Amino acid sequence: MSAKPAHNELERETGYGTDLWRVIAAPVVWALHFLFCYVYGAVYCAKAGRDAPLDQPTIVVIVASLVALALIGLSTLQIWRVRARSLTDNDFEFEHNTPEERHRFLSHVALMLCVLSAVAVIYVTIPMLYLSTCR
Amino acid sequence: MRRARLNIAGRSARLASATLPAIVLAACSPEQSALHPAGVDATELANLFWFMTIGGAVVWCVIMGAAIYAVVGKRRPRSERFADRFVFFGGVAFPTIGLAALLVFGLALLPDWRGTDAPDLRVSVVAEQFWWRLAYEGEDGVRIATANEVHLPVGATVEFALTSTDVIHSFWIPALGGKMDAIPGRTNLLRLTPTKQGIYRGVCAEFCGTSHALMAFPVMVHEAADFATWLAAQRQPATASGADAFVAAGCGACHVVRGVSEAGSVGPDLTHFASRRSIGAGTLELTRANLDDWLIAPTHIKPGVRMPSFATLPDAERTAIVDFLLELK
Repeated sequence: MSAKPAHNELERETGYGTDLWRVIAAPVVWALHFLFCYVYGAVYCAKAGRDAPLDQPTIVVIVASLVALALIGLSTLQIWRVRARSLTDNDFEFEHNTPEERHRFLSHVALMLCVLSAVAVIYVTIPMLYLSTCR
Repeated sequence: MRRARLNIAGRSARLASATLPAIVLAACSPEQSALHPAGVDATELANLFWFMTIGGAVVWCVIMGAAIYAVVGKRRPRSERFADRFVFFGGVAFPTIGLAALLVFGLALLPDWRGTDAPDLRVSVVAEQFWWRLAYEGEDGVRIATANEVHLPVGATVEFALTSTDVIHSFWIPALGGKMDAIPGRTNLLRLTPTKQGIYRGVCAEFCGTSHALMAFPVMVHEAADFATWLAAQRQPATASGADAFVAAGCGACHVVRGVSEAGSVGPDLTHFASRRSIGAGTLELTRANLDDWLIAPTHIKPGVRMPSFATLPDAERTAIVDFLLELK
């Protein structure tokens, strides 16, 4: 590894530590939301029968989705502060294996995962809006 | 094609000449085509197919165009802001919104079962290796048994109650709508609404054994009045005479011919056998020669079929059975 210093190292003070929990927080919210929706739906329909309407589960799933999106939003907000908003610019110094660069990189990954998780939560919710009965 | 030829060459020449043109013709006739819809659901599915095909082609062209432009096009510096936006809209926003739109479009095609009205006609379908046991529900609730040939009135909503006795099959009439599995121990409901009169072909769409490909059925869509006439005729017991050979050979152990023999129900109901178009669930055209072949070597024509061979019967007796069967109009 070359020891050439990053040209803007001073501006890039963003804190230390690679908080893995923060990286997987959004996917965990998505996974819990996914499990909750499907398990709740399955249990509800097993009890109510094939012809039962899905009004109540629809409301529950929508509320669960709003909660999940709020949690993901919170996580996004924390990570947003770490890095600049660009998707493509060179704000990584790949040659530098420092805690700071790792922190920056993981924050970038975490931000992408937040967006992906939010989209996934919405995709899980959409079918519920179109299903009318347990059939 | 060559393999199919070799396969058939092993059978009798007569069979080959009867089957091969049918296979070739089936490839180009619209009677089993989801792209020639003749029902409400099939029309929606065909629209979905064309929408997806054209949409996919457009996306493909745009992406290939962009790739070619990137390689061949003049190099001009782009601002970082442009690159950012290009990646965001082209790589993130467009796929996300496009896939969501497709999901919504597909979900909107799901039938809405809430508070649905009673269907105009109910048909019970039991899929068995390798044929279809059918029972129409008459106006007074009586069950009218038949097999391997579906008749429907045009414009009516028909509900098929599908189940199976052995393995999973799938009931599919491509010209009329989507497919639905027939699963042992479970009853699945499928509603179809034919919109065009005509003759179509239905198939088993879930591999179910050696003769899976020979588990088909003709579908006739009639005017309502013609359908009522057909159903009334199916309800009558058989009127044919000369059942002695049929009874003596023990055919009644497996086949019901109402009015003649109602003991066995292993095989298809033959009460109005001669009114159907095919033998062996859409396998052969119903002709005297084919019927004789079928009685001599059913497993030769349809591997795995449960019907035994009647080759050991004297020709006269077999001819008498064929005569009787062809009279079962």
